[in-house]
Amino acid sequence: MHTRRSFLRGVGVAGVVGVAGCLGGDEPSAEESSNEPTATSDATGTPPPTAERSLHLAQDIGTLDGEVISGGVPKDGIPAIDEPTFQAAERASLDDGEPVFGLVRGGDTRAYPQRILVHHEIVNDTVDGDPVAVTYCPLTGTAQGFERGPVEFGVSGDLVNSNLVMYDRGTDSRWPQILATAIDGPLAGETLREFRVVWTTWGKWRAVHPGTEVLTEDTGYTRRYGDDPYGQYNPPGGYYASDRTLFEPLSRDDRAHPKSVVVGTRTADGALAFDKESLLAAGVLTGAIQGRQYVAVADDTLSTGYVYANPDGRTVENRADGYSLDGEPVAADSLPLERALAFDAMWFAWAGFYPGTGYVN
Amino acid sequence: MSTDAERRPVADRVGRLVRQTLVATRGALTRRDGKAVFVVASAAYFLLYTAGLRNLGFGPWGYELSIVSDPLARAVQPVGPFQWESVALVVVGPVELLVSPLNVLLGAGLATLVGLNLAVSVVAWRGPTACRLGSGASAAAGVPGLLSGVACCGPTIVLVVGVQASAGVLTVFQWLLPLAVVALVGTLLWVGRKVEPAAL
Repeated sequence: MHTRRSFLRGVGVAGVVGVAGCLGGDEPSAEESSNEPTATSDATGTPPPTAERSLHLAQDIGTLDGEVISGGVPKDGIPAIDEPTFQAAERASLDDGEPVFGLVRGGDTRAYPQRILVHHEIVNDTVDGDPVAVTYCPLTGTAQGFERGPVEFGVSGDLVNSNLVMYDRGTDSRWPQILATAIDGPLAGETLREFRVVWTTWGKWRAVHPGTEVLTEDTGYTRRYGDDPYGQYNPPGGYYASDRTLFEPLSRDDRAHPKSVVVGTRTADGALAFDKESLLAAGVLTGAIQGRQYVAVADDTLSTGYVYANPDGRTVENRADGYSLDGEPVAADSLPLERALAFDAMWFAWAGFYPGTGYVN
Repeated sequence: MSTDAERRPVADRVGRLVRQTLVATRGALTRRDGKAVFVVASAAYFLLYTAGLRNLGFGPWGYELSIVSDPLARAVQPVGPFQWESVALVVVGPVELLVSPLNVLLGAGLATLVGLNLAVSVVAWRGPTACRLGSGASAAAGVPGLLSGVACCGPTIVLVVGVQASAGVLTVFQWLLPLAVVALVGTLLWVGRKVEPAAL
C-alpha cells in the first residue's frame, strides 16, 4: 500500500538554521585548511554538540578526506527534511514488511520510513524537545541518530567509502555518517553525540509501539516516494542484494558477502561487528575489542540486536522464555550492562572503514 | 594567422551548410512521412528522457496534484548536472509524473533535435541510394542524452553496465548532456547536407 496525499495541496519549504553553541574542535593544520569546504552563506559558525571522547578511526583524517569523492549531486541536491510532519500509526499506509527506522526518546516514539529517507537521507527533527538528526545512507545501509543542538545537517553530495558525507550548517564541517567524526572543516577530529536508531520493519515496530508517530510524505518536496532508485528491500533486490558496490570500498574483506548486514559497534579503542543473521539465529554472540569482551543480544520482536560491554565476562544465555544474565531473567534491550551504541550496516562499508574489525558470526 | 579572405570561405561553407540543413529540415517536415517520424521520435525520446530522470513512472493507482509552496525558487534549484528540482507531482491512474520545468525544457530541446535528425534521415533514406546514410548515426547521437538522464542517484546506471563508479566516470556522466547536444547538431548538419532537394 502507498500513501496518497490529498488533491491539490501546497507543501512547506525548508526551515532556517538556529544559533547557539558548544565546544569547538582542534585547530586544523595549514594543509587541512587549504582543502577545507567553503562556509556557506547560511553558516553561522555555531557547531553541533560533540562528544567528550572521539571514536576509533582506522585511517587518519587526512587519508579519509583524500578518499572523499563526489556522489554526482551538488550540495543539498539531495535535500534534507527540515520541517518533518508526522501522523498516527493508524493513518499510515505502509506495508508491514517495509523498512522503517525507529526511535524512542523520552515520551516520543517515531518511525521514519526508508521509502521517504532514501530521497532525503537526513531529517532535522525535534524529538521529546531535543533537536536531533535522523540520518540514512542507502549505499551503506546505515540509519543513525545524532544530537544536532541548534544546527541542522545537510547532504554534502560527497561520499567516502560509499557513505553519506553530511555537513553541518553551522560550521560546514564534513561528517561521514558511519564515522560520526568530522574529517574536514573547523571541527575536523570531533565526534558527534549519537543515539540508537533501530532498523526494523513497519509491522514489527507498530506491534511493539502501537502509539508511534510516522513521518509523512509532506516533506516540502515533490518526490515519487514509492520509487527507490537503488532497488527494493521488500523483498531485497537491486543494489541492496547485489554483491557489487557502486564505488570501490576503502578496503575489501571477504569474510562475508559485501551486502550482508552486520550489527556494528565502535568505541574509542576499536570496532566489532556481529553478523545480523547469525545473531538473530543464535540469540547471543560474544566478541572483543582490544581484549574487552562485548556481548550482542538479539531482539526478535524488532529483528534487531543490542551490544553491551561485558568486561567481567558475565554469563548471558538465551533461554526458551528470553535471556538471562548470571541466571537472572533480563530483557534483550535492557541488560544491566553498559550498552554500546550499535547499528546495522552493510559489511563492505563496515569493513572498509574498519579494516581488521572483529567479526563474529 | 588567417586573413579575412581565408575566413570568408569557411564562413560561407558553414552558412551554406546551415541553409542546406534548414531547407532539408523544412522539406522533411512538409512530407507526411517526415512529419510522422518527427512527432513519434520526439515524443518517444522525451518520454524516455523523463523516465530516465525517474520523473515519470508507474506507481500505485490514484489521482493527485501536489505543488510545492514556492515553485519559482524550487524550479531553479539544481539536483544534479543539468537536472533541477520538480515543482509538482501529478498522478493519473498508475502514472506518476514529477514536473520540473527546466528538465522539461531541456528534454523537449533534446527531443526536438532527435526528432529532426530522424525525420531528415528517413527522408534521405527513402531518397536515391546515394543518400541512404545517416539514420543510424542520428539515432546514436541521442544516446548520450538518454544516459545523462539516468546518471542521477548514484549513479545507479553503472551497476547496470557493470562499471565501478569513480571520480572519472562521474565526470564523464556530467558531460554526457552537452555531448548529446553537440552530437545531435553535428549529425543534423551532416545528414541535412546529404538530402537532395529533388528528393523532398
